[in-house]
Amino acid sequence: MIQRQHIRPQSSLPPHRPLVGTRQFLLSTLLLILCFAPTGSLILEGGENTASTATQANAVQGTKNKHAELIEHELQIDKIDRGHWAYQKLTDFPPPETNQSDWPRTTIDQFILSKLQVHSLSPVAEATREILIRRLSFDLTGLPPTAMELSQYLNDNRPGSYRRLVERLLASPSYGRRWGQHWLDLARFAETDGYEHDKIRRDAWRYRDWIVNALNSDIGYDRFITQQLAGDVLSAQDTKQASSKIATAFLLSGPDMPDINSQRERRHVLLNEITATTGSTLLSLQIGCAECHDHKYDPISQADFYRLRAFFDRAIKLKTNESVSTLTPNTNPDAASQIHPRGNWQTSGPKVSAAFPRIANLSGAQVTDKLHPRVQLARWITDPAQPLTARSIVNRVWQYHFGTGLSNTPSDFGVMGEEPSHPKLLDHLTIRLIDHDWSLKDLHRQIVLSATYRTQSKPPVPASGNSNATQAWKDAKLTDPSNRLLARFPRRRLDAESIRDAMLLASGTLNHQAGGPGIRPPLPQALVKTLKSGQWKTSADTAEHYRRSIYIFARRNLRYPLFATFDRPAANCSCATRTPSTTALQSLLLLNSNFTLDLSKHLASHCINENSEAPSTQTRKIFQRLFARQPSRQEEMECNDFLLRQATMAKQQGSVTPALAALTDLCRALFNSNEFLYID
Amino acid sequence: MIDPQLNINRRILLQNAGGGIGLLALQSLLLADENKSAKKTLAPHFAPRAKRMIWLFMHGGPSHVDLFDPKPELSKYAGQSLPDSFGNVMTRRKVATNPLLGPIKPFRPRGKSGLPISDFLPHLAKHADDLCVIRSLHGDSVNHPQSVYQMNTGSILMGHPSFGSWLAYGLGSENADMPAYVVLPDPGGGLKGGPSAWGSGFLPPTFQGTAMRPGKTPVLNLTPPTGISDSQQRGTLDFLQRLNERHLLKRDNDEELSARIAAYELAFRMQSAAPEVCDFSTESADTLSRYGVDRPNTQDFGQRCLLARRMLERGVRFVQVYSGNTNGWDAHKDVAANHGEYCEKTDQPISALLTDLKQSGLLEDTLVVWCGEFGRMPMSEQGKGRDHNPWGYSGWIAGASVSGGRAYGATDAIGLRAETDRVHVNEFHATLLHLMGMDHRKLVYSHNGLDERLTGPAEVDVVKGLLT
Repeated sequence: MIQRQHIRPQSSLPPHRPLVGTRQFLLSTLLLILCFAPTGSLILEGGENTASTATQANAVQGTKNKHAELIEHELQIDKIDRGHWAYQKLTDFPPPETNQSDWPRTTIDQFILSKLQVHSLSPVAEATREILIRRLSFDLTGLPPTAMELSQYLNDNRPGSYRRLVERLLASPSYGRRWGQHWLDLARFAETDGYEHDKIRRDAWRYRDWIVNALNSDIGYDRFITQQLAGDVLSAQDTKQASSKIATAFLLSGPDMPDINSQRERRHVLLNEITATTGSTLLSLQIGCAECHDHKYDPISQADFYRLRAFFDRAIKLKTNESVSTLTPNTNPDAASQIHPRGNWQTSGPKVSAAFPRIANLSGAQVTDKLHPRVQLARWITDPAQPLTARSIVNRVWQYHFGTGLSNTPSDFGVMGEEPSHPKLLDHLTIRLIDHDWSLKDLHRQIVLSATYRTQSKPPVPASGNSNATQAWKDAKLTDPSNRLLARFPRRRLDAESIRDAMLLASGTLNHQAGGPGIRPPLPQALVKTLKSGQWKTSADTAEHYRRSIYIFARRNLRYPLFATFDRPAANCSCATRTPSTTALQSLLLLNSNFTLDLSKHLASHCINENSEAPSTQTRKIFQRLFARQPSRQEEMECNDFLLRQATMAKQQGSVTPALAALTDLCRALFNSNEFLYID
Repeated sequence: MIDPQLNINRRILLQNAGGGIGLLALQSLLLADENKSAKKTLAPHFAPRAKRMIWLFMHGGPSHVDLFDPKPELSKYAGQSLPDSFGNVMTRRKVATNPLLGPIKPFRPRGKSGLPISDFLPHLAKHADDLCVIRSLHGDSVNHPQSVYQMNTGSILMGHPSFGSWLAYGLGSENADMPAYVVLPDPGGGLKGGPSAWGSGFLPPTFQGTAMRPGKTPVLNLTPPTGISDSQQRGTLDFLQRLNERHLLKRDNDEELSARIAAYELAFRMQSAAPEVCDFSTESADTLSRYGVDRPNTQDFGQRCLLARRMLERGVRFVQVYSGNTNGWDAHKDVAANHGEYCEKTDQPISALLTDLKQSGLLEDTLVVWCGEFGRMPMSEQGKGRDHNPWGYSGWIAGASVSGGRAYGATDAIGLRAETDRVHVNEFHATLLHLMGMDHRKLVYSHNGLDERLTGPAEVDVVKGLLT
């Protein structure tokens, strides 16, 4: 497990620590020579050719002395290391002055505009109100606007209508059901163990509900993660925080194998995974790379890894064949923390005690014995003097709004990560977040109220004759094809959950009920059969099948097919960015599934019942619900023609309700359309 | 100019477009102009020995000492316990001190080569001269799911991309209307470790295995929903595509939107292409009979082997066929009964498959792999059964101009541990990739700051002795 290759050929950043790298390499090579055999074979080389247990014990003994080097020769953090952008203290840069003073709406826009002007670019025009309400509703709540919400907004001609819309959406309980999923991706959340038995973790849904509620009540990101790191300790100390124990399920939401042969191995794998996830998710540091050896590029030693792990070493109570879901304040005070050379649970290196990763510990904070160590870890992680945590979450929130973070490697701020496109803006927002009690809703407000967020994502209509606007668009596309400078809004496909939820809402079938154990909509038999028997029992109450996506039971060994097909991550490791794919299987699913047909029928019947007479009224209604706009005259005509053709066909095929059949086809087509699946 | 990863993004986009399905068609569609870079990345690293591959996966762990690895010593010492010289043995079910159990059925030399194969497999025995049996495979876990993951993904931990996903990522598909990586799961279901075994892990989801099954609807949602006629469907799709075209025009011909338009056309084509693959009406009664499709015991696996052959013939890159429900080959209690059943189910179909591949000449550049997630212990369990053994076991490869009629590597005297010319699972994978024209060191994917590869972070080598 030694020669990890951290070299990424596509990166433009050369590793800037060549000397240190060499030292590390020598050490690694030494270890490699000592322990050539892959994991597991070590104790089992047997029979006639090599070792009995005794010889093997000798081998371990022989390497033990060498392992002391892991601490004795630990690499020191130097000035060059600290010079990397991510470890710099937060600096409150004043928003730059720009010479297009009528465009900026918030300080964000000044930073964005200033950089655009450096590249001789201008922001494109603002999007229409129809586009903005659709964009904003999906972004903040994961749902499209209802017909009523749409008309309310379009008819609100008083000043401040957009701001009122933002406030309404941020206050909606749907906000937490949308943004909670982002966090659950990072938390590699599923409600089962995975592996062979994939047992249900009975209380996992409580963690999901805790996340949704915490986000809806905007408890502050510092408290949000403090409770996820140490909620068990806090709840034991303070009855008012009794519910926060469940928050520590964050650390244990990954895969686990309770029936593994060795519980020691199980604990080791869990602890290492917890440590890696804490690093990548909360600090945006790939600390996990130092599990087996010193990090090849970042100044994170293997000792740093196991010192961070030491905060958790005593927090897991394991029982054979039983799932584990939350941390426990103190299981075994005597368990010593140590380095495991090569990341192997069967090797033991020098003892270590809990300490903060040195590279990020700018203040030199030490762990004391006055407070529970994990509470100290939580305090250190949320200490503004340590800039990674706050920068990390600001970058993530930005990414969820714009599709790409200010740094495009949201879980890796190390030297192999990407430097932010707008470092001063990142610091500006980070300081604001801290100053506003780590309120995420305040951060959302800053972002979505900006002019940057409100730009068009498509070129101006050529007929408009606005040659400046056309030129601005062309320049932006040419100079900045990947849109890192944000002269225009990046178009995005709806994510899996939003596709399903929007179809439910538009068809009038969405069941808004909140919280509780995960629900199981029906699945095709062919899929259920890939599981062990009895692992997908369809919820008896069919009304449950129409709940929001975040409430669908998250079985690790079987993602709900629509989610799997539309790129929901597999919950085996923390996922910071979903990779949107475009596949024929997606098309088959949306076009042919009973799910789409069922909802198309609902929508069609609804429109026919309400507007029995005029097909064009029906069409308008459907366009409103799916696209948040009225159809053009031409579109209305085309839809009418389509309805006539399909109705004739249906009649020929013996349908007794040809109009309904045709309208169902129309709904099915529109549910599959790019206009529905993408947010402009 | 701003985004150093632009090419990567473009590459991912292109590969995603069509989901492996219709990959080349889409590429030519989107790359009609100049940019051939994405296409180039989908070529093998060097001239491949095989262009396609079929992996017969015996879930549960077939017993090497009863099928491919004759151990006279084991017969000799049957009933006695493991000599102390073998040291400690980690086992799943604490069988280390149980009496040794001799081979259940006799082995015989087969073919011109004299390669020994057990009487459990009389049909396969006829192909002995084409088989390269590897007797020195070894892995790292005594547990099913971990070993299923390792044999499929290289790692005992859940969540890594499967071999087929890497292959699809590296080589793409040869058929515009079919996925690059098809899995034919056992209809009994319950693979230990679940569908993650053919998952794409951290690779984009488009590279995951597409599970298919024999019959009229090999893929989920392949046909229009009940009550929707073909003409209605075509009308709906045409209307949809017109809307999409206009939508696209107003959006600067956005590549992703174009790709989705193409994906709908491909989906429509798949509706006829996929059922055609599964339609056995053009196969002769003799063929069906050779695969055992006409007999209850062999019907299922025979159908899936035949389907696999038809897929290979139509340009599917990689087909994986699973044998064994939740328990499968997991012969804890009674090897004779368990292996009797599973050998009968698979022996004749696999033989027919090899015969067909050989007769058509496809075997020359097709790689066939047979193995389970591990083998079984020389010690007995519950009297006549055997526990899991990842420390040394057998698999075989055929085709890809690998010379047959031979055994590579060896376990110790009783078949407990791989001893001579050991082949770790990661080395096995490196070798299989090599035969497919891929260098396992170069087939990398950047994930969370790490260049991940199928064979893991440690350096492993291709097993040269298997290439001859």
